[in-house]
Amino acid sequence: MVNAIKGILITCDIPMAQFLISVNDAMPNAHKFIVYMLDDTHIYVQPDVGTMLSKKLEEFRDQNTFVKPFEA
Amino acid sequence: MYAHNHTAKQAAMMDMDDPDDTVEEIQRQDFTKLELKPDHANRPLWVCADGRIFLETFSSLYKQAYDFLIAIAEPVCRPESMHEYNLTPHSLYAAVSVGLETETIITVLDRLSKTKLPKEIVDFIRGSTLNYGKVKLVLQKNRYFVESPFPEVLQKLLRDDVISRARMTPTEAPGAGSSSFSVSRAPHETGVADSELLGADDVAAGAEEKELHSFEIDPAQVEHVKQRCLPNALNFPMLEEYDFRNDTVNPDLPIELKPQAQPRPYQEKSLSKMFGNGRARSGIIVLPCGAGKSLVGVSAACRIRKSVLCLATNAVSVDQWAFQFKLWSTVGDHQISRFTSDSKERFRGSVGVVVTTYNMVAFGGKRSEESQKIIEEIQNREWGLLLMDEVHVVPAHMFRKVISITKSHCKLGLTATLVREDERISDLNFLIGPKLYEANWLDLVKGGFIANVQCAEVWCPMTKEFYREYLKKENSRKKQGLYVMNPNKFRACEFLIRFHEQQRGDKIIVFSDNLFALREYATKLKKPFIYGPTSHHERTRILYAFKHSPNVNTVFLSKVGDNSIDIPEANVIIQISSHAGSRRQEAQRLGRILRAKGKPKDRMAGGAEEFNAFFYSLVSTDTQEMYYSTKRQQFLIDQGYSFKVITSLPPADSGAELSYHSLDEQMGLLTKVLHAGEDIGIEQLDEDVDDITRGRFTRRHGNMSSISGADGRVYMEYNTGRGRGGKAKVRDPNKPRNSLFKKRFT
Repeated sequence: MVNAIKGILITCDIPMAQFLISVNDAMPNAHKFIVYMLDDTHIYVQPDVGTMLSKKLEEFRDQNTFVKPFEA
Repeated sequence: MYAHNHTAKQAAMMDMDDPDDTVEEIQRQDFTKLELKPDHANRPLWVCADGRIFLETFSSLYKQAYDFLIAIAEPVCRPESMHEYNLTPHSLYAAVSVGLETETIITVLDRLSKTKLPKEIVDFIRGSTLNYGKVKLVLQKNRYFVESPFPEVLQKLLRDDVISRARMTPTEAPGAGSSSFSVSRAPHETGVADSELLGADDVAAGAEEKELHSFEIDPAQVEHVKQRCLPNALNFPMLEEYDFRNDTVNPDLPIELKPQAQPRPYQEKSLSKMFGNGRARSGIIVLPCGAGKSLVGVSAACRIRKSVLCLATNAVSVDQWAFQFKLWSTVGDHQISRFTSDSKERFRGSVGVVVTTYNMVAFGGKRSEESQKIIEEIQNREWGLLLMDEVHVVPAHMFRKVISITKSHCKLGLTATLVREDERISDLNFLIGPKLYEANWLDLVKGGFIANVQCAEVWCPMTKEFYREYLKKENSRKKQGLYVMNPNKFRACEFLIRFHEQQRGDKIIVFSDNLFALREYATKLKKPFIYGPTSHHERTRILYAFKHSPNVNTVFLSKVGDNSIDIPEANVIIQISSHAGSRRQEAQRLGRILRAKGKPKDRMAGGAEEFNAFFYSLVSTDTQEMYYSTKRQQFLIDQGYSFKVITSLPPADSGAELSYHSLDEQMGLLTKVLHAGEDIGIEQLDEDVDDITRGRFTRRHGNMSSISGADGRVYMEYNTGRGRGGKAKVRDPNKPRNSLFKKRFT
């Protein structure tokens, strides 16, 4: 009997996969979203976390990006 | 008026989801209505009503226009074809102090501008320069005089209580009453404004002599008088000048420049700003590293020809200054002495050159009997010139102390980078004087005076294991160690060293602020390294080997190498870790390889090698380092440099010939980093007090930008005089937020 789970397949580079794992680890058990860690660059996650993850990722990226300020 | 100095590019980036604000913003920056002059194509400037000025560097008048603009305005950004400048009250004050008059500024600006000068600009220049430069404080034969070509201004000053009490009653004319001033004649300013720009009639007027009125004040009251004249009181800020030719009290120092010392055009120009009217002005000269700042300093000393006190940041640069004095001038061994903790040379005779460090003079604790004697002699002597090297690194309190305990007629500050991450630049303006000259880096590169550097940012992806640890909360204080020791970065560094050593025969400096990384990298690659505790003897030995031995081509330096260690042989820099977001450090490090090498004709554009120096900054991607790296580059980008991004180092086919190829080795390194403890490898030196080092590694809550020192105040150093006192700027909640920030903060 085949067991089908609905979800999203994420393809990314190695550091990004590590970032997603760390986000997953920080979640309470009920909200863990990683279904399978396929390999270093492919992750299978719950279907409803797409927007949340891209938001988290954007926040993280912003922290590491310098934007030249100017007087407003 | 100056609250809005975004560039046109930034304006174009504005958020479009807020139409009202954007439209307003565009309207305010809409200058299409300005009327173009019929011959606008021949004129190099765009002058905007908000104080910004744009200069076309391809104009045939570029050179003249540049010299003029650098005197009256603050450079904001100077890329290749178009420069941006900003008129500020402070820059106009500097202009007046080098002898430009209000009407001259307006006339020349109008002559260079493509459009009719906006009325706001004319009013602004008039308003800011009205009172500047009208009053001078002159030290003549050890008597202080307040001098002005306008007797009515002196009358006004004397109506002030403090000043009238400080006035010394003239003894030679007792019956004349207090309304009369001594009158003398002085030649008019020359050599400041280009005569081509002024036209014939102005030059004729300039040749006439001027009447000067003056009265004497009590030397003990000088400080108070100066204070009363500041903008917040009477608003007649005083210029300080030293009439060294007529100083008969202080003995002359018979030194001259040697014939082989040929100042370059830009060095001449900076000196002419300082000695424009036959007297010596106090101020700051900004030249990139390697462009010959020491020759400017020595030349100034040779013109004033009085006792010189030269202050440097450390013992090594004290030696270098003493050497430069002997190299360029005819100063004898008996006339020059060094005063450091290692060598305390007593000075002989009543006149001479003394080279010492800021620390030695400002030191507050108990001194040995010997140095106590020397310091007393320094305090008691009247110095003709106080020469201060690397003025941007010295903390303000140390400056105040040095300036208050040494009596000098004229102060000259030298620096390469007039940026700091805090607000101390405005202190410099007040303590030393206005900026007299600032060279354009790209022009010096084109002229072959400094090396043409290829700047590159090498992106090194984090390895899986290192990044996993990096992301863990409990490792938040080991982050630096993890991204600096990233094995991919190590391999890129090793690859670059091999490439430059073997393929090009270059000499390489590797910079690492992190001592743990410094030691690991250097030991693993079997290269010598120098850091704070390395003894003077050991340093000299390593540097000698680096200079002369064909087997030592790479040296690792901690931040002790940022300033003043002179290594002219090096032409490659690899930066593996750096001091957070310090723009100054980035520029100083680049300066280590700016000294021009090779034949001039090869260095010119289109010559045998277009780039002869290389600056690599190794950055671990997806980490904080990316943020710092971009911030650090801002100063160099404003000077017109561009950074090339390299993503493929080491090449994909490189294997075990570079270190840390196998996972086992990488894991071993990881364990080492994680066990090295928190805040590993941080080096604290006496000289590096900057806002980032001050109070670092105290636990603070805040966002990324406040932790890195990037919030509000960081970019305010151009607006000197505002927001002083180190307080972060608080946003006025009633003002509408700029549309660019709206999205982020709501």
